[in-house]
Amino acid sequence: MLSMSICQEVLARALAKGGTFAEIFFEDSRNFSMMLRSGRIENAATSRPRGAGIRVYDGLRSIYVYTCDVSRAGLLRTAERAAAAVTDTKGSGRDVVLHERVTPNAHRIERPVLSVPADERAQILRAADSAARAVSPSISQVNAGFLSREQHVLIANSEGLYTQDTRVYTRLTCSAVASSGAENQTGSENPGAMMGFELFRDRVDPEAVGRTAAKSAVTMLTAPYCSAGEMPIVIAGAFGGVIFHEACGHSLEATSVEPGMSEFAGKLGQQIAAPCVTAIDDGTMPNEWGSLNIDDEGTPTGRLVLIENGILKNYMIDRLNGLKMGMAPTGSGRRESYAYAPTSRMRNTFIAAGQDDEEEMIRTMGDGLYAAKMGGGSVNPATGEFNFAVQEGYLVKDGKIASPVRGASLIGKGSEILMRIDRVGREMTMGQGMCGSKSGSVPTNVGQPTIRVSRLTVGGK
Amino acid sequence: MEMNVETFAARVFEAAEQAGIAPAEICFGSSESFTARTRAGALEDYQVSDRVSLTLRGKVGGRIGTASTQALDEESIGLLISGVKESASLIETDEQDEILPPDAHYETVCNYSEALDAVPAQEKIALAMDIDRRMQACDARVKPDSSVVRSAKETFCMKNTLGLDLTHTSNLIYAYASALAKEGESAATGFKLLWGYGMDAVDAQAVAEGCQEDALCQLGAGRMKSGKTAVVIRGGTMADLLSTFSGVFSADNAQKGLSLLDGREGEAIASECVTLTDDPLMPWGLGSSPFDREGAACRTKNVIEGGVLRTLLHNRKTAKKAGVETTGNAAGGGRVAPSNFFIAPGSQTKDELLAKMGDGLYLTDVSGLHAGANPISGDFSLLSRGFEVKDGKIVRPVEQFTVAGNFYQLLKDVAAVGSDLIFEGSPIGSPSVLVSALSVAGE
Repeated sequence: MLSMSICQEVLARALAKGGTFAEIFFEDSRNFSMMLRSGRIENAATSRPRGAGIRVYDGLRSIYVYTCDVSRAGLLRTAERAAAAVTDTKGSGRDVVLHERVTPNAHRIERPVLSVPADERAQILRAADSAARAVSPSISQVNAGFLSREQHVLIANSEGLYTQDTRVYTRLTCSAVASSGAENQTGSENPGAMMGFELFRDRVDPEAVGRTAAKSAVTMLTAPYCSAGEMPIVIAGAFGGVIFHEACGHSLEATSVEPGMSEFAGKLGQQIAAPCVTAIDDGTMPNEWGSLNIDDEGTPTGRLVLIENGILKNYMIDRLNGLKMGMAPTGSGRRESYAYAPTSRMRNTFIAAGQDDEEEMIRTMGDGLYAAKMGGGSVNPATGEFNFAVQEGYLVKDGKIASPVRGASLIGKGSEILMRIDRVGREMTMGQGMCGSKSGSVPTNVGQPTIRVSRLTVGGK
Repeated sequence: MEMNVETFAARVFEAAEQAGIAPAEICFGSSESFTARTRAGALEDYQVSDRVSLTLRGKVGGRIGTASTQALDEESIGLLISGVKESASLIETDEQDEILPPDAHYETVCNYSEALDAVPAQEKIALAMDIDRRMQACDARVKPDSSVVRSAKETFCMKNTLGLDLTHTSNLIYAYASALAKEGESAATGFKLLWGYGMDAVDAQAVAEGCQEDALCQLGAGRMKSGKTAVVIRGGTMADLLSTFSGVFSADNAQKGLSLLDGREGEAIASECVTLTDDPLMPWGLGSSPFDREGAACRTKNVIEGGVLRTLLHNRKTAKKAGVETTGNAAGGGRVAPSNFFIAPGSQTKDELLAKMGDGLYLTDVSGLHAGANPISGDFSLLSRGFEVKDGKIVRPVEQFTVAGNFYQLLKDVAAVGSDLIFEGSPIGSPSVLVSALSVAGE
């Protein structure tokens, strides 16, 4: 890690030609990944990403320079490249004095992955693989992946901050292919947490992961295509929360709100969702995939109410957009690595538990679609248009779950779907994803209880 | 203590030999980039980077292990050696990656411009500002978002203990603008990107105009009626689909049951008018390189020729398993990937394709490819934008509908291929294609 005196020198050099704020984000990580396919471990690799990014605010303009050369000379050279781009030269040549702030750790790690014998790690993949294959002879392939990351970061800035944090992630990914010879269908399950290897003792049973992925693929193999049209939809919890993440969450990030490229810009205090909807973005949940002690700008994370009983309460705000908007940062400044300037991002984002009975919402829905498991999706934040794949869907006929259907997708606009939610179930569950945006790919949790949307366009065949 | 790459590589080879790792191979990549982003008449973002990454591969106990680092210091040498040993001990596959001496001959291919390297930062910032200015001065219904100019340079070297020593350097510049057009309740985003190897390839007026046109022409969009319809797919959009499903042509996927093309060489898998080419030797191609990530010489080949599958894309491991020669498509990490990969252009213009179609849909944009397309089953169902076509003429923009189909079937349903081959900032390209039927779900 970088010493305080080097950081002081580098930050002062970055501000030598002017600028109102300078920051250094240093990272030294240890990653391990391993893939199993066709029942055998096919690759395994450790890697060590390491580098530093230096950011200078030139008025409201961000200058970002990053490098892998973190020697004193390399960092000073990088700071000079940033300083050379500064145009507002008022107040140049400031001294920077740093004070160490100790970041308390709310996410206890018991067994760092790299300290676990290699074969014990491999055993996780073998367990998922054999459980998936045992589900049905039509399971023709299983891809299982083990991913771990130990990210050590140091953040220092010209306001005197000097602090460090360690983020430890472990994840199992499993995708099973069911084949009839002429057709393939897939099912997947990808649980992870801000935990070490104890993930597999405390939360995740690799055999259950393999089985769930395989069952979903087998169910879809015999399912007919979903027919298209507008209908009521019930969306199950956990990864079903991707719908809120994509259709609403991204539009509540300052990245799209500040430049007015969001359909929710300028709507604080207004009703943007049905009164049964309360939505939260929480960075503090112990050992959750999207949690952080501090964000990637050094701001401690918190619990942020985005929507309360349908009323828009808060946006997710990073430091620079906060300056532009005249609002305080919310601990939402995140980045994939030192190779990205941070911006506002989601953490653990979910629709909070409500009052409704899950059985009742299907019984009273008439004909429609039950989305038991969602795939990924995407959204255009400016227009709110979204598109989600339904990984595992079932037709509902006359209030009863009738038969599985494949190939369904849900399309619509974020503002519309929020207003059309008419039931919110009692138990909130979460699922893990990697969310891609301007500052790269970051771990986020999505979540919700089972919810019902009165009508939505289903794309199918 | 940081080391320069030559010193570090020499130390790594030495340590590998002492640890009994033989043969050993080092891949070293270094990249530099420059980005300027403007918004509302001001430079908003300025980003400069330099990055390195070094990977050691080596044989221990009959298996090849891999480890990599971005830190060229003493600690990394130990991590690389122990990482390679652990990786080799975990791998269980019979077929092995190999570390081999160089091929007898490598073609030369150029996608590096010295002149572009010499363009000063100020000139690139001025270009972004110029695009931004032209965007501000446009139609009142258009709200410009940002204008971006980005240049990048990459050098990739491979060196092994069997005499391999290869280097390839490439660079490029691109410029793009995005905007939001609004009129009443209707909103649409516009986007235009140009790229090349010199400032003349990224004309400010062409970017600004293209972006505005793209946004404005979609205003007042209606909905499509649900049902089966003939579709002309715009080249860039077809390239997006081809890119999403390019994995079906990977022999690695095929051998693992993740593609339906395993063992189907010689069979007609597409319409007769479809020829699909992988050309790593294309001059000034985005994906051009004389050698692949295993150090094998690259060559040009048709993957589909007149509808018939000629070959899948191979690395040495998949080729050995299939009893053929590698096609030079090793992408690193045991994967296989195309280089410059495109549907060969036909003779008809886009307008001729629309005329041939008569009534149907001109599909100009699909989104959510990472979610709405399944590269293994070939199924896709994608949120789309486009234009309704009647009697061969565009009548109105349409939005908020999905287009669904299956990629394998799509290849068979291509009725005609246009002459307008385009690479939109990607090594995967396509001309416009006329497809006889896809499912549309709208109202």
